[in-house]
Amino acid sequence: MTVQMKRSGAASRVGRPPLGLAATGLAVAALAVIPLAYLIVRSAEAGSSAAAALLRPRVIELLMNSVMLAAAVGAACLVLGTASGWVLARTRLPLRAAWLVLATLPLAVPSYLAAYGWLVAVPTLSGFWPSWLVLTMACTPYVTLPVATALRSSSGQLEAVARSLGRAPLHVFATVTWPRIAPSALAGVLIAVLYSLSDFGAVAMLRFQTLTWGIHSAYSSSFDRTLAALLSVVLVLLAVVVVVVERRLRRQVPTAPSRSPAPTVPLRWSLTPLLAALVAVPVLGVAIPMAGLGTRLFQAETLRQVDVEGLLVATGSTLALGAAAAVLTVLLSLPVATLAARYSGRLVGLVESLSFVGLALPGIVVGLSLVFFTLAVAPALYQGVAALVFAYAVLFLPRAVGSVRAGLALVPGRLLDVSRSLGVGSIRSWIRVTVPLALPSLGVGACLVAISTAKELPATLLLRPTGISTLATELWARTEVAEFGAAAPYAAMLVLVAAVPALLLSRGATSRRELP
Amino acid sequence: MTWVDVSGATVRFSRAPVLDEVNLQVSRGEVVAVLGPSGCGKTTLLRAIAGHLPLDAGRVSVGDRVLSTPARHIRPEKRGVGWVPQEASLFPHLTVRENIAYGLRAGAGSSARAGEVAHLVGLGELLDRGPHQLSGGQGQRVALARALAPRPDLLLLDEPFAALDRKLRAALRVDVVELLRNQHTTALLVTHDQEEALSLADRVAVMRDGKVLQVGTPREVYENPVDRWTADFIGETVELPGKLSGTRLETPIGVLRALHAVGDGDVRVILRPEWLRLSGDTGVAGRVQSVQYAGHDALVQVRTENGLDLTARTAAPFFPSPGDSVTVSVHRSVLAYRS
Repeated sequence: MTVQMKRSGAASRVGRPPLGLAATGLAVAALAVIPLAYLIVRSAEAGSSAAAALLRPRVIELLMNSVMLAAAVGAACLVLGTASGWVLARTRLPLRAAWLVLATLPLAVPSYLAAYGWLVAVPTLSGFWPSWLVLTMACTPYVTLPVATALRSSSGQLEAVARSLGRAPLHVFATVTWPRIAPSALAGVLIAVLYSLSDFGAVAMLRFQTLTWGIHSAYSSSFDRTLAALLSVVLVLLAVVVVVVERRLRRQVPTAPSRSPAPTVPLRWSLTPLLAALVAVPVLGVAIPMAGLGTRLFQAETLRQVDVEGLLVATGSTLALGAAAAVLTVLLSLPVATLAARYSGRLVGLVESLSFVGLALPGIVVGLSLVFFTLAVAPALYQGVAALVFAYAVLFLPRAVGSVRAGLALVPGRLLDVSRSLGVGSIRSWIRVTVPLALPSLGVGACLVAISTAKELPATLLLRPTGISTLATELWARTEVAEFGAAAPYAAMLVLVAAVPALLLSRGATSRRELP
Repeated sequence: MTWVDVSGATVRFSRAPVLDEVNLQVSRGEVVAVLGPSGCGKTTLLRAIAGHLPLDAGRVSVGDRVLSTPARHIRPEKRGVGWVPQEASLFPHLTVRENIAYGLRAGAGSSARAGEVAHLVGLGELLDRGPHQLSGGQGQRVALARALAPRPDLLLLDEPFAALDRKLRAALRVDVVELLRNQHTTALLVTHDQEEALSLADRVAVMRDGKVLQVGTPREVYENPVDRWTADFIGETVELPGKLSGTRLETPIGVLRALHAVGDGDVRVILRPEWLRLSGDTGVAGRVQSVQYAGHDALVQVRTENGLDLTARTAAPFFPSPGDSVTVSVHRSVLAYRS
């Protein structure tokens, strides 16, 4: 039966994808790797001078700063996230659902916005530790959420058995619990480390000089484009090393399927350090920055100075860019997601992994390489809206593919088979069955891209056409010259703009049509 | 007259054929059940006929149209072959009426036809409901109506009753087959349920490991199966050793008559529990060991004097009790297979 089940099962279809679909998928994947490919070409041109440029003490310093910051953030996220996840999953926490939302909240605040909020509260902040704090709080949910899920889905009986075999709680955690949550935790740490490596806004505001800062300043102040390209390659290599190391460390542990939910422990004083971790992240990552933003916003001086027209223009262009990026990215994601949801094989795997390159590419690198690419290949597009929207598409294609694929997987292959047996051709079947059923997920994908686009900073800074500014770039420009008051309305509007699609998302998720 | 002609149909997924030179001919208006255990390739056969799978060898034709050969594959939507899959697979975003009308050319006639077919399957008043408001049985009726609406040349039913509970299943399948007969629909019904195949179909095709072992009327495959595996798969059996000469069969429970002369010598004797009689005047004496009560009949375990364990089926209302003395005899010709 297993063979038949697979063949007639929900997702997988028999045989190879149709030629047209495979070709479109490959084309999209090729588009997604343009920035990376062009960056490598461009750096190779530097030739032998590259080594000399890279071995300068200044470059080494930037590299070390990036590595230290990413490592420190990763380690802190691992500790805080594991503690928070454990508390969420295994203790009798009152209002658990509310705590879960609080633990997720820092994901909604872009790092530079948190940095801005902190700067408003404590203007003297700068350097390593503030950067570390802001990024740690922003990234801890990436560890907390998967750890909590893994703990809830794995049986708690194993811990009870280990305790009854005479082991102390910490020993049990190390030998029984940790091996089972390690893959989830490490995957979260990977995201945190990549995020820290590629972050530009927070470290720039807090004046900690990492590779991204170096790339930006090499490009914008000295126009030393070869150095900017070389630094970008170093940054990408660093990201690749992190991904490879994580793959090596992660060993998939066979899960013990459990029917009984994990037992929970009552709250008690000895759990205080763990509870502190759960509370600290939303307080330090969201509450304090937002309070800083709020107090600054409602000061009389700020309100008097609000540049309403500038604010509206920036909001308009942010929304327009978000919408354009959402449409383009979802369209590009359709062939890739269809391939991934319905077919398997080497070609499908290739297309899928190429389209995920954006996950490991820092925004500043994508921006820079598209500057080079448009200048060299299509000067007409240089500093045009098209190149900017395309950069968003490359960066956020993975998010769109993820949700569109999930939507398509909801449409069982047998529905399309039935449709065709009723005399409706494959393309019309797709329009009449797949599209209406997958539409909510397409909407979710579009919202995710729009939110990410509204929050994007470094690529926008490099690629935006002269005269066009978004809320993020306006916020950044004002913070750079320490005009915290003038920046406040933009920051507040950015929170609003990012919150609206997020609200739509959560409503959409609850009203989603249920499949039989 | 052959209407559906499947000859030498072969499908390979990796190396091993999942369909191995399958031959099956169906006359117009006939309902044929394809019966086999899970994984025997019966669903694959349907998918190949429906055009969702290409053939690696062989041929499928319906009427005078060749639908599938390895070189020529008519697309599923051009075949005129209707399909009712295993699980209710109604389009969740469409109402019952829209589901039924899905395969019809849009126009004034389509809604009327949808209503007509809905009445045919007894769902006339549910036309404006959504699929999630239907019970399992209603869902399968809609799936059937949807497949019948475009008047297919051949209807394929892939275990359409498997997901329903036992009582509903029994009622629905009788309705469905009556409907197919009234509409003179040619249908292939895939099932792994022996009772379903035997009670509904004009003919039964028994499949195993991608091959068709036997095609015949329900009575033929039950009373005269081609081999021991088929005999055992179709229904309960009693197996005995025996010695055959001509059709004269010597067995531990006496001299019996074999249905076929399969060559003199040692054979395996197979009979059905209901071919054994426990109340005859002549035969082998035995004692009842246990009784498996099933309401309308019972399976009685008997140990004979010469130490054989036999299973006999006795009809209600006269059931023996454990410990009773009985006389075992056989009242018809039995099956003999070379061991």
